[in-house]
Amino acid sequence: MLEVHQVDVHYGDIQALWNVSFRVEKGEIVSLVGSNGAGKTTVLKTISGVLSLTKGSVTIDGVRSDTIKAYQIVEQGVSLVPEGRRLFRDMTVFENLELGGYIGRVRQQKDENLKWIFQMFPVLDQRIHQLAGTLSGGEQQMLAIARGLMSEPKLLLVDELSLGLAPLIVKHIYLTLKEINRSKKTTILIVEQNVRLALEISDRGYIIENGQITGEGKGSELLKSDKVKSAYLAMG
Amino acid sequence: MLRFIQILSYGLLNGALYGLVALGLSLVFGVMNYLMIAHGGLIMMAAYITFWAFFYTHIDPFLFILVVTPLFFIIGWILFKILFQSLMKFPEGEKIKNSLLISFGLLLIFSNLAILFWTADERAVTTVYSGKVLDLFGVRLPYIGLGGVAIAIIVIIALHLFLTRTYFGKAIRAVSLDHEAATLMGINVNKVCLVAFSIGFALAGIPGVITSLHAFNPAISFDLTNKALIVLILAGVGSIKGVLIGGFFLGAIEAAGVYLVGTPYREVFGLILFVLILMFRPQGIAGKKA
Repeated sequence: MLEVHQVDVHYGDIQALWNVSFRVEKGEIVSLVGSNGAGKTTVLKTISGVLSLTKGSVTIDGVRSDTIKAYQIVEQGVSLVPEGRRLFRDMTVFENLELGGYIGRVRQQKDENLKWIFQMFPVLDQRIHQLAGTLSGGEQQMLAIARGLMSEPKLLLVDELSLGLAPLIVKHIYLTLKEINRSKKTTILIVEQNVRLALEISDRGYIIENGQITGEGKGSELLKSDKVKSAYLAMG
Repeated sequence: MLRFIQILSYGLLNGALYGLVALGLSLVFGVMNYLMIAHGGLIMMAAYITFWAFFYTHIDPFLFILVVTPLFFIIGWILFKILFQSLMKFPEGEKIKNSLLISFGLLLIFSNLAILFWTADERAVTTVYSGKVLDLFGVRLPYIGLGGVAIAIIVIIALHLFLTRTYFGKAIRAVSLDHEAATLMGINVNKVCLVAFSIGFALAGIPGVITSLHAFNPAISFDLTNKALIVLILAGVGSIKGVLIGGFFLGAIEAAGVYLVGTPYREVFGLILFVLILMFRPQGIAGKKA
């Protein structure tokens, strides 16, 4: 459903992505792993339209998305949970969720979506009138994901959700994502520095190094490959 | 004692007007980091338009709010498209500097246009109730001032409800907190800024009408911008609720200055307050620490 085809991206004069191509099929969980500065976040920002590409194309369900404005890509069914969460900190949990469901297409379904989201993340229901900035780190990450889900995305992009969170909470959130993938058939693309964790819950994975895709395979296979073991898991 | 209460109540009536004066400036600065110092010029223009319209029609000037506000909304819309849209892509500090320069130019243009059209003479709209007062236990409250307070409270509550109860209002607040995150919600940031900017202009129309009921001349545009900046700092940047409180506070401080030192020093107290707030409480009275 998502096809990234030979994409180059520049920050000013500096090239960040070289000829990046990969695809994500409907209903899959795919992870994009790599070290700091490899270009993972750049890929997600390009798909969500915040950055524009200099070459190549991004196609969602057969429709080009790199030619339209970033805010219209949400209407196309893509939602990014950004790195660092980027919540509206001075607004309440409820208002953050409402803004997640801002686009016209989903406003009618607000109540149903909220109900479903509170089943997934019960803690948000208890915090509903609290300001987003006063939540704990884990709760903020849950809110960021919940906010991303309010627009009923076909494709959810999740950037670096483990950042600064306790491993147990990260695990819990990933399991919830897996559950969402199963129950709602939401396609998920994960970007993660924590390679083992990401590959464990993913159907497939891509490895990105210095702005280029250098490897791909099933999550379980990549975990066993020598390349991943030596470079990312500090084994052998 | 009665004299003090009398001066203080005048100060508070003025303060409501200061709050209104600062409202549009605060909204625009909060949402897109544009420091629209031409705001005082807009208010002055609105006052002249009201004066002019009253001269020909003799309709109650408060009713002109219904005409001047949409008119200024449209002017804001046009000026944003021509002058301010191109600043959107700049980083924050550049936005402040560039918008400051552009709007300073606008302020000079407005002042000179007013002198050209209406001369530098002191003007005022004189209605049947001008100069009439409500006597409250010996304290004299002019009806025009009381009308100003009522309008200030209504407008600020209406704006607050718009920003907290409607989807579009929430989008405006979201944009003011984080442009990129707002885009990721599917919010058209450009459009939100255009509308917020135009609302800022429209909000200049309301204090303009009230100003026309007092004596005014083209030079008040600078005074009004001054007051708006002081209230903005008092309220805390981007705080709509704080604006009315900030306005009242400035009015009260000025009144205290008038009581203790004398009328000629009224402006000085506001400016001293401005400096003190920036030194000791830069987040404003109502604002939170950044």
